[in-house]
Amino acid sequence: MNRILVQANKEWVEFRRDRLSLALAFLLPLFSLLLFSYGIRLESKNIPLAVEDADHTPVSREYVHRLYATNMFIPAACPGDGSPSDAIDRSLAKVGVVIPPGFAGRLFAGQVAPMQVLIDGTDISDSMIIINSIKAVNSYFLKSISHCARNPQAVVPHLRIWFNPGRKESLFIVPGVFGVILWMYPALLAAVAASREKEQQTIIRVFSSRLSAFEFLFGKTLVYVLIGLGLALVILVPGCLLFRICPVGDPTPLLVATPLYLFTSVLFGILVGTYANSQTVAVQATSTLGFFPCLLLSGFVYPVDNIPFPLSAFSLVVPARYYINLCRDAFERGIGWPAVYPDSLMLLLFIAIMFTISFLGICRMQLKD
Amino acid sequence: METSVWLGRAATKPGSGAITTDQLRKRYRDGVEALRGVDLQVNRGELFGLIGPDGAGKSTALKILAGVMRQTSGQAQVLGRQPRKVRHLVGFVTQDFSLYPDLTIEENLRYEAGVQGVPEDVYAARRNTYLRGLGLAQFTDRLAGRLSGGMKRKLALCAALILNPRLLLLDEPTTGLDPVSRSELWEMLAAAGREEVTTVVATPYLLEAERCDRIALLYEGQIRMVGTPDELRARLGLHRLELRSADLLRLESAIRELLRRGSSQIVDLYTFGDRLDVLVKSIQAAEAELREALAEAHLPLPAVQPAEPTLDNVFSLVLRKEGLHDYKPPEFPKLALRAPAAPGAARDSAPAAQPAISARNLSRRFNHFLAVDNVNLNVDYGEIYGLLGANGAGKTTTVKMLCGLVEPTAGQALLSGEQALSRSSSLLKRIGYMSQKFTLYDTLTVLENLEFYSTVYEIPRGKRREKIDWALQACGLMGMQKTIVERLPLGWKQRIAFGASVMHEPDILILDEPTAGVDPIARRQLWNLIRDFARDGAAVLVTTHYLEEAEYCTRLGIMTRGRIVKEGSPGQIKGSKPGGPTSLEEAFVAIVKGSEEDG
Repeated sequence: MNRILVQANKEWVEFRRDRLSLALAFLLPLFSLLLFSYGIRLESKNIPLAVEDADHTPVSREYVHRLYATNMFIPAACPGDGSPSDAIDRSLAKVGVVIPPGFAGRLFAGQVAPMQVLIDGTDISDSMIIINSIKAVNSYFLKSISHCARNPQAVVPHLRIWFNPGRKESLFIVPGVFGVILWMYPALLAAVAASREKEQQTIIRVFSSRLSAFEFLFGKTLVYVLIGLGLALVILVPGCLLFRICPVGDPTPLLVATPLYLFTSVLFGILVGTYANSQTVAVQATSTLGFFPCLLLSGFVYPVDNIPFPLSAFSLVVPARYYINLCRDAFERGIGWPAVYPDSLMLLLFIAIMFTISFLGICRMQLKD
Repeated sequence: METSVWLGRAATKPGSGAITTDQLRKRYRDGVEALRGVDLQVNRGELFGLIGPDGAGKSTALKILAGVMRQTSGQAQVLGRQPRKVRHLVGFVTQDFSLYPDLTIEENLRYEAGVQGVPEDVYAARRNTYLRGLGLAQFTDRLAGRLSGGMKRKLALCAALILNPRLLLLDEPTTGLDPVSRSELWEMLAAAGREEVTTVVATPYLLEAERCDRIALLYEGQIRMVGTPDELRARLGLHRLELRSADLLRLESAIRELLRRGSSQIVDLYTFGDRLDVLVKSIQAAEAELREALAEAHLPLPAVQPAEPTLDNVFSLVLRKEGLHDYKPPEFPKLALRAPAAPGAARDSAPAAQPAISARNLSRRFNHFLAVDNVNLNVDYGEIYGLLGANGAGKTTTVKMLCGLVEPTAGQALLSGEQALSRSSSLLKRIGYMSQKFTLYDTLTVLENLEFYSTVYEIPRGKRREKIDWALQACGLMGMQKTIVERLPLGWKQRIAFGASVMHEPDILILDEPTAGVDPIARRQLWNLIRDFARDGAAVLVTTHYLEEAEYCTRLGIMTRGRIVKEGSPGQIKGSKPGGPTSLEEAFVAIVKGSEEDG
């Protein structure tokens, strides 16, 4: 026990002295919080729309006004001949709407009134949103003119969005950002600390002492979990304040799972650091193996259900997936233990596995051949 | 060093050996066999020297004894038990200190004591004693990473002592230490022996081996001989004669001729800066034979001084006898290649009055620190000038100014009469500079490194192949072309670096500690190369703090605190110490200490 404290104290002093570590621990995570939380926007707003209304009737103008009323589109500047296709070519507009002459007349005559919508398909997600909006506007428009048109819409879809009724995006993004940051930085710190021993050749000092592999690993892990808790505080509190979110329902799952998640993250770093021979390798391996799966396969941005088969299996071993799920429950759904106990159990499983692998890598406490 | 440091130690019972190994073998995963059946006996309280060149297996042996590495086969017993079981009784100082640079001296020691289970009160007492004894007491708050090499070495030793070890394992404890610190360290080790602490020191320096109670020569993973230094010398059954003459070159060729014809008395010949050493069977008979041979060659009789053979002599003969290493310098193809080459012509055109390398009232100030203080020196073509000094004496700064890499604060640095600072391309082509840490690209092969430097030095494309082959051959690197540099021992790297820096056949060679960390065999080869360059008419300026190799220089300048305090041939420097000729090391320490007291 005493030796664990000695080891932990040494790690703490080293951490305090190393400016890079300090920056990694507190400044960069804060920066990432702002970057991710403000930078990632899944909803589209202010899409420039170019209109060519050749009909010039109150009905056609009404249609155009309906489009703008979605708050999704803004008028695009149409220089030159003013045609929408030209505006799209010049990237001034993302959508062009062309209403041919006789639009109103055909409607009132009960005929099909064709009109053209041009969409810039470069950005797939944007174009999907635009298609849906145009469809929605169309059906709304048809409904609103049904008293005078002879071909009213038979079906009116009723849509409702649960949990995030205002579609407040920060509720979706920010808990995910917590998961990404608390995964990334403690792991990096621990990987640097573990590989530093080898790079500085101080590992020989450890090997030639009475320290056991468990004491060595646990002492290191302990310090970085504590540092990670500090980081969690520095990230969660400003995150909640800045983005006006707060835990709903029972907060205990979050309070229990965050230290568990930090253990997972730190042990991942230690695991990489134990097997890597230099700090550079350790940092790169932690970033690549840790960061990208955490970003892409955790459900942070893209739903885990959409991941295709071989990768979907891989996503099962991405710990961030479980913590992000748990975090979203704490901040959005507020259901608590019944919903998230499997996630906590998964984190415990990861801790056991990673500690074992790290331990096996160093248990001889001797240099490798 | 105070011996009181060692008092209060529980006496251990003599009798059983401190270390016993039986057919110890180690094969690394990459197939390298570092140890090939080592049988070693070290007695308790002994100061034991493990001597051997780079890559002989010294570090591997110590790591196994310290319990941080497993042997492939064979037995190792330390203090009667398995090495792993007695780690708390063994102090291990690795070659690169293994200190935590971000921790202070105090924190490093506390960590070591903590993980070794030294109780707090015992720790405090020991720490005070050792820090004071080693002269580190006033620096306890300094970060280990900011300490000088010598202080790091002392701290590492202190960390090893804090657990009150019964066995000390030291891996090259004096590499990078200046002569003054080195002699302090050895006094301390001798004191440790008096306190019944067994000490095993691995070192490539034969001069240091003289200080050990017993030594073992480790070569290519096997022990070639064991004994006290005197025993080993006696076993050789030869005498050494130091020959001094005004015309060493002709004396040397006459003796070589004698050796070639088959001499009955002379066994071996060693060339130094201002003398020749011959190993002979009988002093009288050999002198007679020499007299005869020299008379035949119409040469005057040199001044002859009989002396004991050195350990260097012993080892080279043993290795040669076993056919392990051809110690005779091979005939370097350089001479043939260089003979018709241009530098000679360039040299002839330079007026004789113009020294090749010249410093005139050279000074350099860094902020408030005067690194070089009014240095004057001249090196002529054909000379090997050795700049000796402790760490931080200003050697490297002087050399950098002479190469035109650092601007002098005052004074002039001239290379064959031209301002060094101009670094004109015609001048650069004539200079070969090898810095302390010559930059080889670790991830490239030997050949790729040489190819790179041949481009840098603008060797004409058609000649590159030839020059590279020459460098490979001259530096003993044939067959190593495809090896990645990173995997080579330091000694090899230095040889490649030397090869790379002389590939363009410069006639002014400036070498900054070219042999730091290089083993005796490689060092000797390097010095043979350097001497060949000088004999061909190149001017050579070398810095070093290994006094055994200062003997290879024709002239020496001793530097301390930025000034040259003594200049002369190795013989003159030795003689300058009152009380008759001694070793160069003693002379150096006396001169440095004397000048520091004056200042």
